[in-house]
Amino acid sequence: MTPLHFEQQYQAEWDELAAQVRLIFEGRAKQSATSRPIRGEHVASLYRRACEHLALARARAYPRYMIDKLERITSDAHQVIYQRREFGLTRAWHAVAYDFPRAVRAHAGYVWLAAALFMIPTLLVGWLVYERPDLILSVVDGETAAKFEEMYSDSAEAIGSTRGANENWIMFGFYIKNNISVAFQCFAGGMLAGVGSMFFLIYNGVFGGAIGGYLTERGLSHNFYSFVVTHAAFELTAIVLSGAAGLRLGHALIAPGRKTRLQSMVDASKDILPIIYGFVVMLIIAAAIEAFWSSARWLPSEVKYSVAAICWLAVLLYLTLQGRRAD
Amino acid sequence: MLDSVVSAETPEGILLEMRPAGLSARFCAIVIDKLICTAILYAAIFIAGILGGIGIGFWLILAFLLEWGYPIYFELGKRGATPGKRAMDLKVVMDNGLPITPRASITRNLLRAVDFMPFAYGAAIFCMLLRPDGKRLGDLAAATLVVHLPRPAPKATLDMVAPVAPAKLLAPRDQAAVISLAARAPTLTVERLDELAALARSVQGEEPREPSEVTRRVLGVAQWLLGRRA
Repeated sequence: MTPLHFEQQYQAEWDELAAQVRLIFEGRAKQSATSRPIRGEHVASLYRRACEHLALARARAYPRYMIDKLERITSDAHQVIYQRREFGLTRAWHAVAYDFPRAVRAHAGYVWLAAALFMIPTLLVGWLVYERPDLILSVVDGETAAKFEEMYSDSAEAIGSTRGANENWIMFGFYIKNNISVAFQCFAGGMLAGVGSMFFLIYNGVFGGAIGGYLTERGLSHNFYSFVVTHAAFELTAIVLSGAAGLRLGHALIAPGRKTRLQSMVDASKDILPIIYGFVVMLIIAAAIEAFWSSARWLPSEVKYSVAAICWLAVLLYLTLQGRRAD
Repeated sequence: MLDSVVSAETPEGILLEMRPAGLSARFCAIVIDKLICTAILYAAIFIAGILGGIGIGFWLILAFLLEWGYPIYFELGKRGATPGKRAMDLKVVMDNGLPITPRASITRNLLRAVDFMPFAYGAAIFCMLLRPDGKRLGDLAAATLVVHLPRPAPKATLDMVAPVAPAKLLAPRDQAAVISLAARAPTLTVERLDELAALARSVQGEEPREPSEVTRRVLGVAQWLLGRRA
């Protein structure tokens, strides 16, 4: 068989495969408009034939243009045939009900380490600043400290007292953009052998601790804690989880075990993906609470603390118990 | 060594050849993407201004989505590329040639944060220059590859000379060489074509002939090998 003969004989099949793949690519709207519907099993068999033809053409050293054409047709069809659809409501529900809490429990060691890296600086610096308030100046400058003090003071300028719906929306947008970006950075820092995640955890701990200790010493704890305690259930947990995901990635890089470093990292990123989905959702919830609930100062503190207690309990129970039966 | 082609074997047993994109093409792609995002944000800020607080809130959310979600959304689309990459004829695929999965897209785009360090994608540039397959850190963790879309090869016009029967039996390799010479003929100068055809003169017989006549006959042999008969 000569190259031209080969081409003549199979050209029609290749054209049909290319046309069908283009149809699949262009989507349902165009498909219904044409007279020839797509038959999946037919496309698959055409694809396998084209693969055979490509192998033959290569083995027989047929002209380059023919091999190029077959390569293009098969690689386009390959992309369409092996497409994966991982989205959908059932899938999302499964992620919430099982994948996320189970992934968190599977990485309990990393979560505890991340929690320690975050909490120890928070408590330590918080206590130090409470004892010696001037230490706040080694963490933030005087202007920032004064701004925080004013924000949580009893005066009219403080957050919540005069804030309308408009400002709430602005803050909602701000919290989403800012907090989730921080969490992403905290996770991505894991790529630097975990050091980046550790840095962000400790840094955020020191910052939060310093502000908390300072405001407590100033006697503004009633405003500060009633503001932060509810959304903290979601926000602080999410930051710790993002750090834990980063630590896992870093650990996979430092200690790949029997895998190659690359493979170990790819596997780790597969394992921690549910945690990433999870902490993003938690941060969105946190942003909504922080913008619309935490800022409502007219609510009595008893209500706020009760709701906060329920939130904390719900988050902790969800992470420790949800989906256990399927474990 | 010089060639950066990555090949992946499919379950059907064929090798898919992929050409990883280098720094310059990907730099242009990201510049285009950033320009698009900036333009959208500028346009949106006018609308946000009219709506007031809610508008600004949503504008900030839009800014967040454009920063992190824009590449994920487009990479998971049919074309597997952001508008910038599409403009540069690039595409993101798994390194086994499969379409990119949501997991991989999310991983590679969140790890942008570390690729960006210390500034202006320094880590990404460093990593891409070190590797023949041009992966940045996010690509390493996600097992993805940014490749050039294959360019459709122009079908060589091979049918301008009369077929000539070869003067001797040709091994498959030699047949392929003669055919690919004929396919390249339109891109070569006449002198260069004559030089190359002279190397293959034995396929058209031993009698002394003019160089242009040798070339014509060698191209004729290619026609014969392709399956044409007078």
